[in-house]
Amino acid sequence: MFKCTINGHEVEVPEGASVIEAFKLLKEDIAHYCWHPGLSIAGVCRLCMVQIDDGPRLHIACNTLVKDGMKITNQTEVVKEAVRWGMDFHLINHPLDCPICDQAGECGLQEQYMKYGQYDSSMAEKKVKKRKVVDLGERVVLDSERCILCSRCVRFTDEVTKTNELGIFNRGDHSEIGTFEDQPLDNKYSLNTVDICPVGALTSKDFRFQQRVWYLKDTDSICTGCSTGCSIKVYHNKEGLFRVKPVFNEKVNGHWMCDEGRDLYKHVNAPVRLKQILKSVGNEWFPLGLERALDHLNEAFSKAENISVLITAQHTVEEYKALKNWAQQLQDKTINFVYWKNNPESFDSFDGLLIRGDKNPNTKGLLEAGFEFADASVLDSSDLVLAPMPENPAVYPKYMEKLEQLSKLQTQLCLLSVSNITQHETINFADGTLAIPMKTAFEKAGHFINHQGLTQKIHKGRVIVKAALGLDELLQAIKIGKWIQPQLLKSRKTNESSKVSGELW
Amino acid sequence: MVTVKKVQRRNLQTQSYIPSLLKGLGFTFSKMIKNLFNQDKMPTLNYPEEKYDYSPRFKGNHVLTVKKDGALRCTACMLCATNCPADCINIVASEHTDPAVEKFPIHYEIDVLRCVYCGFCEEACPVDAIRMGPEWQTAGVNGSVFNYDIKELAHRPGLKGGAVSRVDDLERHKAGI
Repeated sequence: MFKCTINGHEVEVPEGASVIEAFKLLKEDIAHYCWHPGLSIAGVCRLCMVQIDDGPRLHIACNTLVKDGMKITNQTEVVKEAVRWGMDFHLINHPLDCPICDQAGECGLQEQYMKYGQYDSSMAEKKVKKRKVVDLGERVVLDSERCILCSRCVRFTDEVTKTNELGIFNRGDHSEIGTFEDQPLDNKYSLNTVDICPVGALTSKDFRFQQRVWYLKDTDSICTGCSTGCSIKVYHNKEGLFRVKPVFNEKVNGHWMCDEGRDLYKHVNAPVRLKQILKSVGNEWFPLGLERALDHLNEAFSKAENISVLITAQHTVEEYKALKNWAQQLQDKTINFVYWKNNPESFDSFDGLLIRGDKNPNTKGLLEAGFEFADASVLDSSDLVLAPMPENPAVYPKYMEKLEQLSKLQTQLCLLSVSNITQHETINFADGTLAIPMKTAFEKAGHFINHQGLTQKIHKGRVIVKAALGLDELLQAIKIGKWIQPQLLKSRKTNESSKVSGELW
Repeated sequence: MVTVKKVQRRNLQTQSYIPSLLKGLGFTFSKMIKNLFNQDKMPTLNYPEEKYDYSPRFKGNHVLTVKKDGALRCTACMLCATNCPADCINIVASEHTDPAVEKFPIHYEIDVLRCVYCGFCEEACPVDAIRMGPEWQTAGVNGSVFNYDIKELAHRPGLKGGAVSRVDDLERHKAGI
């Protein structure tokens, strides 16, 4: 360990750490664009200037290693002047695009401009105009005028995905980011380039112009897309959920997440959700109050001798516990648990970075809950099937097929569904089948255990469908015959977006 | 505790109101006769036949300016909506087919019943897309007419083809800004 002094504060850093890492360790402010903790050092933005031991020349903090006893400062006038002029160079060709730029509000340039901006342009030359609104494949849009050539995105495709799509082309002030012969940027992690872009040069097609970032609040959660369980922030406001971004988690995902995981907020938003309890009578759905639905369920459960639960690994540890307790209380009945996997042939696959074939956040949690699983054939002989459906039915095509088979056998079903199941017009559910709106992982608190066996907490975020119940809540309501909204239970953790904007890029 | 208040009794001075009454009526009638014969010097207006023109700086009804080609100047940056203390501006942005425009509002609505006419929207606008004009007569028969949409804000007949914005992207582009 080396000891060094930064702006008068002493800090101990491991050998081989760079000066900027020491600044970050101390949570001391330092301007920077090109340096990113998850990428190699480029040293091109020349903004992280520091003065070391009263030396005559300034150094860049990202590419200078800490030595024992170093005295480092970035508070002197010399450093501030250097950063001011560095900023001025970055802004020479930067367009006045902030009103239509999605990055506005969480932009590195804006942030440093407020501290080091010269406010009046001293350039006599005209700005160099470059390509705008360049379609970079399925998910990303490039605006090369806004780019400050920090090369973060280029290093990302070189070092993390190793797909090498992006590069810097041309020379001098005509340099610009692009792909070779405008081939699309189509790797499975492409949206990370949008996250690490310190300016608005790379924007996400999905989020483009949807909301200004200062209208959004965020909640910490865990991605439910696969068993990796990346740490994420979900951004939302009263109109719904708008985007998902990764949060640094050393043990799980590092700085990144996959593009697929970022789409998961879509099945949470109101237009595709089941919003009230529905009962199927003669191939038609009729709305039902909760009390009536509970009466109906209690009656159905007391009548049925052979109950099956068609369970997936998409629920929280707490819900599995509740399910287990519920089954123990109904000892006079036969209750079979059927564990349904998605795509069994690719279940154990792994792409080497983050994406796993097991599309469930809590496979370990389900297996550790101590269920004894029966063969899927027991479903056909059941009187009643309780089916807490997977949140995203798209990754479970066979699950819907199974439900279709069961409905053909006229088995009574109790469906807990996130998506609007009534839109499946091809399935004719048996009379008395109930469809109950279910909470998504973004609307409930709990724990997931990822593939490594790491237990991670999810926080309750914005509630989109008020009538939705968690599996545990439904079982509790069945037990006591009514449901009391736990208004005092607040586990919500919502941050103002602006507070963390510095960490986003 | 009881406070006893002394009530002033009537006296001759307060009782004899007739002289004061006549004095007041005399003032009114003298003004009436004066105004009847000097109508051009009269300070009041015969509203609604006659109307007062406020200065162009008066913060009246909102105007969305247009570009030279007649398209809406607004870029849907939402700064007016963010700055609005009454939270009365509702904008939905969309992608424009022309990449030079990029972003534009497909929906822009001001609930003028909520509006406090403070002019913060005008101040926040970076492209002179919203102004507060001199119009001030905002009568209507029911609440729904007070939700001004793009048609009302930018193309109402009173604007005679729309107010043209001072900030022109094309000119800025040519100037190398």
